[in-house]
Amino acid sequence: MFGLIGHLTSLEHAKTVAKDLGYPEYADQGLDFWCSAPPQTVDTITVTSATGQVIEGYYVESCFLPEMLATRRIKAAIRKILNAMAHAQKQGIHITALGGFSSIIFEEFDLSKHRQVRNVELDFERFTTGNTHTAYIICQQVEQGAQQLGIDLHQSKVAIIGATGDIGSAVCRWLQAKTNVSELLLVARNQERLQNLQAELGGGQIMEMTEALAEADVVVWVASMPKGMEIEASKLKQPCLLIDGGYPKNLGSKLSHPNIHVMNGGIVEHSLDIDWKIMSIVNMDVPARQLFACFAESMILEFEKWHTNFSWGRNQITVDKMEQIGQASLKHGFRPLLSLVAN
Amino acid sequence: MLQTATIAEELDFHSEAYKDAYSRINAIVIEGEDEAHDNYVRLSGMLPESQEELIKLSKMELKHKKGFEACAKNLSVTADLPFAKEFFSPLHQNFQVAAAANQTVTCLLIQSLIIECFAIAAYNIYIPVADAFARKITEGVVKDEYLHLNFGEQWLNANFAAAKAELQEANKQNLPIVWKMLNQVAADAKVLGMEKEALIEDFMIAYGEALSNIGFSTGEIMRMSAYGLVGA
Repeated sequence: MFGLIGHLTSLEHAKTVAKDLGYPEYADQGLDFWCSAPPQTVDTITVTSATGQVIEGYYVESCFLPEMLATRRIKAAIRKILNAMAHAQKQGIHITALGGFSSIIFEEFDLSKHRQVRNVELDFERFTTGNTHTAYIICQQVEQGAQQLGIDLHQSKVAIIGATGDIGSAVCRWLQAKTNVSELLLVARNQERLQNLQAELGGGQIMEMTEALAEADVVVWVASMPKGMEIEASKLKQPCLLIDGGYPKNLGSKLSHPNIHVMNGGIVEHSLDIDWKIMSIVNMDVPARQLFACFAESMILEFEKWHTNFSWGRNQITVDKMEQIGQASLKHGFRPLLSLVAN
Repeated sequence: MLQTATIAEELDFHSEAYKDAYSRINAIVIEGEDEAHDNYVRLSGMLPESQEELIKLSKMELKHKKGFEACAKNLSVTADLPFAKEFFSPLHQNFQVAAAANQTVTCLLIQSLIIECFAIAAYNIYIPVADAFARKITEGVVKDEYLHLNFGEQWLNANFAAAKAELQEANKQNLPIVWKMLNQVAADAKVLGMEKEALIEDFMIAYGEALSNIGFSTGEIMRMSAYGLVGA
């Protein structure tokens, strides 16, 4: 049994979904209501691997909303994540992925200190951030997407916005070790972490965002921001490939230019239909086939019976582990999403 | 649960403001345990096959009551019992009416589900911000309350088909009263370091789990456990 802990993209989105699913008590409610709402198992999922193996899972809605971070209701945000984890564990789920902001909140507020949630002692071995698979998929999107657009990585600069984060640093490690990218442009807020990353990589150039965006042939956006970001096409090099690994994914709708190619980052397509309803709710283009790579990681771990916190802790993702999850990903029928967001 | 030790350290358990709020919250707990005792005794008459167990549960509630009386004494607080009696009177009244009509299902919903879940939520939120003496006592009590909840769950689960409609109706009658009760004590609870939204959330978690164990579907649980919350 695998699990996915997810949340909706905004209060507006939550209202619509609650209405569509027929829960009037949850529709038309303000943020206060969601701050008090408990986690719920809202979907059961059946996935068939390309090998024919079949697994079952649950989707747990944490009732977290990004507005809780934007309005500094941190205690509510923390409760949502811990309560959803306790809920998943109580259902007897072997391995659960922390989707969207869940893993970011876990890391940022050091929730490993809060092992005891009421009468449940959290067993962190049963959870994964899914970040190793997400980082692997983003790297595949960089490599295959560039090839698809005729961008030669050997001649190209790749900017990583959010380079010091868990996913960002893993993407840097992979691109440095496994590709012949001409130069990595490292962008993040914390200078000390940036310098440590540069030292670890033995390369890469630390840059301001505007400077990096103007020079990069490929931009990997993996910074986490509750409100998304403002970016203008005129500030980007043309042509360029922009991998939007943020949540929610909104760069495609903001950047409409024939020479700027946007790809939804960290999304996979499965070779067979998945029996669930939740992906249409989170606005996937092909809901039966497309999903977040972090969710797919818990499915892969369940298929392989690797019941362990495969991705855990900050900046622990190695190239070897990315290769390991990548091979299992391919074996079970997952592929990086390579289609471009329509201009 | 999540209010950290730092917050507990900031509370002055001996300040007048804390003791004033404590006099009402503590009284509610004492009165709640006392009413729970009476309710289980009453239920034991309605469910002869479970009489022995219900009497055992009722005795545990009296033990809890004594523990919380000791907590008040420890902080030199006099519990405001008249306030607490008034606070519980709508639920008390509903229980008495249901018992007189021999509505076992409604009585179990009020005592074994609503009151127990309310107690579990409040105790779980209180424990991290309690003074050391009260924390130890409350930790012992909350373990017992899960057993009490379990009695109601098991009985209602075994009789689910027959009890379902009455449970839904009783939920409509009684849950809005719980939200009102919560609003009434929100300011006092905050002085003790307990936040209203955390109390509501913990109540909905405990109550939702109980409804799930009894046999309700996710959709039914979402509707039932949020009933009357808005507008309360």
